[in-house]
Amino acid sequence: MIMTHPGLPLYWAYAIGIMMLLLGLLTMAIKAPTTSASRSISLAKLPLIGDLFRFLAKYTWPLLLLKIIFAALFITVITAGLWGTPIVERNLATTLTWNLWWTGIIIAIVFSGSAWCALCPWDNIASWLVNHSIWRRSSSQSRLQLKVPNMLRSVWPASLLFIGFTWLELGIGIVASPYATAMLALLMLILATTTLALFEGKAFCRYMCPVGRTVGAYSQLAPIALRPIDSEICRNCKTLECFHGSDKIAPCPTKIVMGRLQENTYCTSCGNCTQSCPSSNVSWQLRSPSSEAIKEAKPHMDEAFFLLILLSLTLFHGLTMLDYWEGYLSEMAQLINDSGQLIISFSIGLGVTLILPIFIYCLCIGLTQGLLKKRLGAMVTKLSFNKLFSGFAFISLPLAFSYHIAHNLTHFVRESSDWLSLVTNPLGTGAEPLSMMEKHTRHMEMMVSENTLFIMQGIIIAIGFVIATQVIRHRGHRLFAAQGITLLPMILFAALVTGFNLWMLVQPMTMRM
Amino acid sequence: MIKITSKTTPILSGLLLCALALFSALTHAHHVLGRPSYSLNEDSNTPPSMAIETQIGEYFITYMVFPAFPKPNEPGRVNIYATRIDNGEMLDQTITFTVRDDTFWGESIGIGDGAKPEVIGQQNIDDGVYRQGFLFKSRGSYIIRAYFEDNGEPYEIDFPLQVGAASPVGPIGAAVGFIFFLLLMINIVQRKRIARTKIQQGQTV
Repeated sequence: MIMTHPGLPLYWAYAIGIMMLLLGLLTMAIKAPTTSASRSISLAKLPLIGDLFRFLAKYTWPLLLLKIIFAALFITVITAGLWGTPIVERNLATTLTWNLWWTGIIIAIVFSGSAWCALCPWDNIASWLVNHSIWRRSSSQSRLQLKVPNMLRSVWPASLLFIGFTWLELGIGIVASPYATAMLALLMLILATTTLALFEGKAFCRYMCPVGRTVGAYSQLAPIALRPIDSEICRNCKTLECFHGSDKIAPCPTKIVMGRLQENTYCTSCGNCTQSCPSSNVSWQLRSPSSEAIKEAKPHMDEAFFLLILLSLTLFHGLTMLDYWEGYLSEMAQLINDSGQLIISFSIGLGVTLILPIFIYCLCIGLTQGLLKKRLGAMVTKLSFNKLFSGFAFISLPLAFSYHIAHNLTHFVRESSDWLSLVTNPLGTGAEPLSMMEKHTRHMEMMVSENTLFIMQGIIIAIGFVIATQVIRHRGHRLFAAQGITLLPMILFAALVTGFNLWMLVQPMTMRM
Repeated sequence: MIKITSKTTPILSGLLLCALALFSALTHAHHVLGRPSYSLNEDSNTPPSMAIETQIGEYFITYMVFPAFPKPNEPGRVNIYATRIDNGEMLDQTITFTVRDDTFWGESIGIGDGAKPEVIGQQNIDDGVYRQGFLFKSRGSYIIRAYFEDNGEPYEIDFPLQVGAASPVGPIGAAVGFIFFLLLMINIVQRKRIARTKIQQGQTV
């Protein structure tokens, strides 16, 4: 029996719909934005929590302790997956990975930016194995330090792996198999170790890791990031320890110079820069949320595609959890004579959902280009399409993030697990499957009230649209001084995606386990 | 000659008891209910088998496989006993037994030769039990599926079966082996590279 969660009340959809209409009109009516520097506050300077952040920046052991805890959990997940019970809800491998980590990691970005990457067990275990060092700079001979081939120097490998993992997760159903979950964890560890042993820096984190790139992309919207406390100190710095490292501390794994850092995308929050900076000038900062996506981040074609793929896959994720999905899949299977696990029908569904939003986006970019051509004439050339494409792709970031959080909140708040019995019996030895009674109890036991959940979801979706319109205004102005009616196609794109997200949230959603 | 007296009787009795206990233990090792071990098979009263009890839909199912860990080219048998949960009535339908390779990929997307199920046989109830014999020619992990329909509802009961010894290298072994081999190779290459650089530097100086 499949259990479903009730969807967002319809009045939320109407309210957000009216807000979108008004905000869309306002975006076209108001003047072009003036460029203003983003404000930020160093958390190390704040009166109450400042001590804690200074302590975290000074000492390595708290981070090391957390790394060891997460690595131990990762090993437990592999052990439970390989040797534990195949009952999904009774095995720590599946519950911890899919119910807590995969759901919580997206929500955690709001509070901690890209901090997950610093604790990531794949990378940490790989580093310990290859560098033969827990945290100090290593002189290990187990690294070939080869240059990353040009064809891999983009986020395309991460994009393709992300599509592959979505296919494995939702199509093959590794979510419902502790063994397959453990195998995927092992595969990631092998990939991270192999890449670290072969290439310089952390090529896996920078170019290949789908989780890292997703965290990196979303953390452009986070209100917290590692940044220089005083940018003047960085400007006068000649030694660049943050980039090169020091005698004891390893260099930046993703080759970032802290003084020039404008976007969070590739920062893994490893803390090497906070440790190596001789002026102790790097710390966690509180900043205007989404300022990177709105104006600071530089557009690149591969990253633009990654953001659009992220949006498509987020929509697809939501779509597969609707009641309608099974019906669509069956109809497709009958049409193409697919049987068994309906994997061909699923793959076609994934392909269509992947291409359709990108196609609509291209259409909107084409319309914007047309409108700009009418206004600006010869200034808008063929090359402008690429410029507009990569520049406006940041719209998809708040739209994907807002739906991703709103969707994950349902899982997080409504699908509790019996963590005490899972921690005390991670392998689920002798455990019985969930009875209908237990399923009902879990369904009823919510972390917050249903109304609070709906309010949170409604506000998050609305904020997503607000940020998207801000991206349209600022980036449109910067690209071709676009304003007024020329912004209409992109506003329509944002409204269409938000409308679809709302429609999905209004529908009942199937319970994960 | 040993004289049997009242003093020696308890000692002799003790020795006799020990001998009897020793022989009875040996007998127990060789026989199950009076039958020699070499003639034990799936028809034995107490065969060394694996039994699983489960509940599916409206039925209690008892599944038994003999031997518990069959070897290639060794005949075995699956017995199924099914009764209704509500009234204890025995299932009286035809059960179809199929077999397929027990691999995650085979099951999910049909990769591999053994991904498609192969029908072993169809069995009717015989003395309250459904019996299906089998013989596997090669070792591996298999899934035996018992399929029947009752009141229009399909019932599929899957049972894992390991034929022969399981692969000595599991996923952990393969992963650790791969990483160890990779790091070892890189270490050798790096040492050679460093040695070559040192020689070249020596020649230029």
